[in-house]
Amino acid sequence: MHAPPCLSIAIAGAGLVGRLLAWRLSLAGHRVTLCERDSFARSTSAAHTAAAMISPLSEVVVSERKIYDMGMASLKLWPQWLEALNLLQQPPVVYAAQGSILVAHPQDASELLQFYQDLSAQLGTDNTARWLDRREIAQLEPDLSAQFTQGLYLPDEGHLDNRQLLTNLLAAAQKLGARCLEQAAIEFQPKPYCSKLDLSKFDWLVDCRGFGAKPSQENLRGVRGEVLWVETSEVRLNRPIRLMHPRYKLYIVPKPQHRFIIGATEIESEDRSPMSLRSMLELGSALYTLNPAFAEARILELDANLRPAFWDNLPQIDATINSRGQGILSINGLYRHGFLLAPCMIEEALTHFTSCPTPDDNN
Amino acid sequence: MQSAFSLYGETFNSRFLLGTALYASPQLMLEAIASSQCDIVTLGLRRQNPKDQDGARIWQAIAGTGKRLLPNTAGCKSAREAITLAEMSREIFATDWLKLEVIGDDYNLQPCPFGLVEAATELTKRGFKVLPYCTDDLVLCQKLLDAGCEVLMPWGSPIGTGLGLMNKYNLRCLRERLPQVPLIVDAGLGAPSQACEAMEMGFDGVLLNTAVAKAAQPAHMAAAFAAAIHAGREAYTAGLMVQRQTASPSTPTIGQPFWHQKF
Repeated sequence: MHAPPCLSIAIAGAGLVGRLLAWRLSLAGHRVTLCERDSFARSTSAAHTAAAMISPLSEVVVSERKIYDMGMASLKLWPQWLEALNLLQQPPVVYAAQGSILVAHPQDASELLQFYQDLSAQLGTDNTARWLDRREIAQLEPDLSAQFTQGLYLPDEGHLDNRQLLTNLLAAAQKLGARCLEQAAIEFQPKPYCSKLDLSKFDWLVDCRGFGAKPSQENLRGVRGEVLWVETSEVRLNRPIRLMHPRYKLYIVPKPQHRFIIGATEIESEDRSPMSLRSMLELGSALYTLNPAFAEARILELDANLRPAFWDNLPQIDATINSRGQGILSINGLYRHGFLLAPCMIEEALTHFTSCPTPDDNN
Repeated sequence: MQSAFSLYGETFNSRFLLGTALYASPQLMLEAIASSQCDIVTLGLRRQNPKDQDGARIWQAIAGTGKRLLPNTAGCKSAREAITLAEMSREIFATDWLKLEVIGDDYNLQPCPFGLVEAATELTKRGFKVLPYCTDDLVLCQKLLDAGCEVLMPWGSPIGTGLGLMNKYNLRCLRERLPQVPLIVDAGLGAPSQACEAMEMGFDGVLLNTAVAKAAQPAHMAAAFAAAIHAGREAYTAGLMVQRQTASPSTPTIGQPFWHQKF
């Protein structure tokens, strides 16, 4: 046995994938440089906007089995990783895994049935969703409106405090010796270039730019999503709630300090402009429906961002070697599943860094 | 395989019109379009910030299928909104074809008859080829024809419900009273049998979206609808037999003495 080599790795993009990778690679003893096009504090990353649910059951209904399998793997990894991260960096990242609840207005009960049917079609006997009646809903979520007479409980689901996580990952990577550069865009086309770094010195360049990689990823597109943040101490929710409606499926996720995030619209457009009033009304009414006391909640933030997605809405990891003999690894297309898939994608990515690039990586 | 039909002077081989919303991925949408063998696809742009063309990526992919594009005004609640969006979509897609939607009720997406007639009147004046998504009301349909529409698209039932042909009397009435007008049943169909039934009733085509997009396998469902629409059209042109009521005999039954017959 000999110790794994210490590789020199530059990461482009300090979103969720870039920061997680910087931390994991630093932990593994590699020399990491993390480069962000903008500033670390004012990130345009989709991870900053996301509600950060780890919801393999809910997501498989709008995707495919592979997403569920990767999500279940991530669901196991998150608590282990966060335990390690919280030892290194405070305040700790809040993580909760108490499942989630789906409800629908009585007149939209068929939405729940359709969801359950879709889950069973995808998962067969792995479908762990359980029907809830009014009494059970009230036990799990006393503050949910009494109008919900039926619901579904999805046990294998969690969520975390994404903004604290992004902050802590960066700090942890730095503590472990990673070099972190702001206003340092890396371009990959026509050849790798960064005004602040000599990229030829690195063994590996990793492209984690999300939608920012569009110029070099032909099939990448952005899918607009809008979210609303509110604050109120009048309503308490213990877990994410999804409201099923014939035309929009919205979720409310409780966050620390009496905050809630409500999302997310899904619009096939690369429009980064502020939230539309229509979306605001949809998100606001969903919230109001769950408990009318939300009417007096204070609006903290309206955010719109783009989810990076490939044509099949599935994630991709590609490794190649350029003419200099450097390895180029690209991780992208996590679409609406960033927090669900990231740990699993990172684990796969790490398998490429066991040695200097070899022709085997050129697939 | 299908008998050709004509809309606004253009001939189409398939009587199946397919929507492009709600698919789990663009890949699945493109596969469904291919397997439907449709000639016309609808697409909406209201929420995609069309003035900055931010939806261009997906529009180009849909245009790349080579199908006749039928931009719609989904999401518009007044004639004025629909007209503005129609002008924008004519510029973006370089087509004067338009599926006109003016929604009167936000919950079940029921078309607003008054807004439809107002918008259709103005849009046909401006040279649009308007295909209005309307209810199955005969008088509304006549007013839309007066407004200059040459094709009508009455609903089977509200969008996305899958309830099928809710008011067959009204639909039959439209077919009988407007024999020369191309009529396309648009919205509310959930199963191929329902599409087949519409075609057996003599409708010229079927437009749908949710039933295909939300199927576990959209491309398979698109093929199933295509086959059903074809079967329904064939049956209509072949001439369906008239149903017979034989539960209560009207003449003595052979093999039974006539004095045992009840009259």
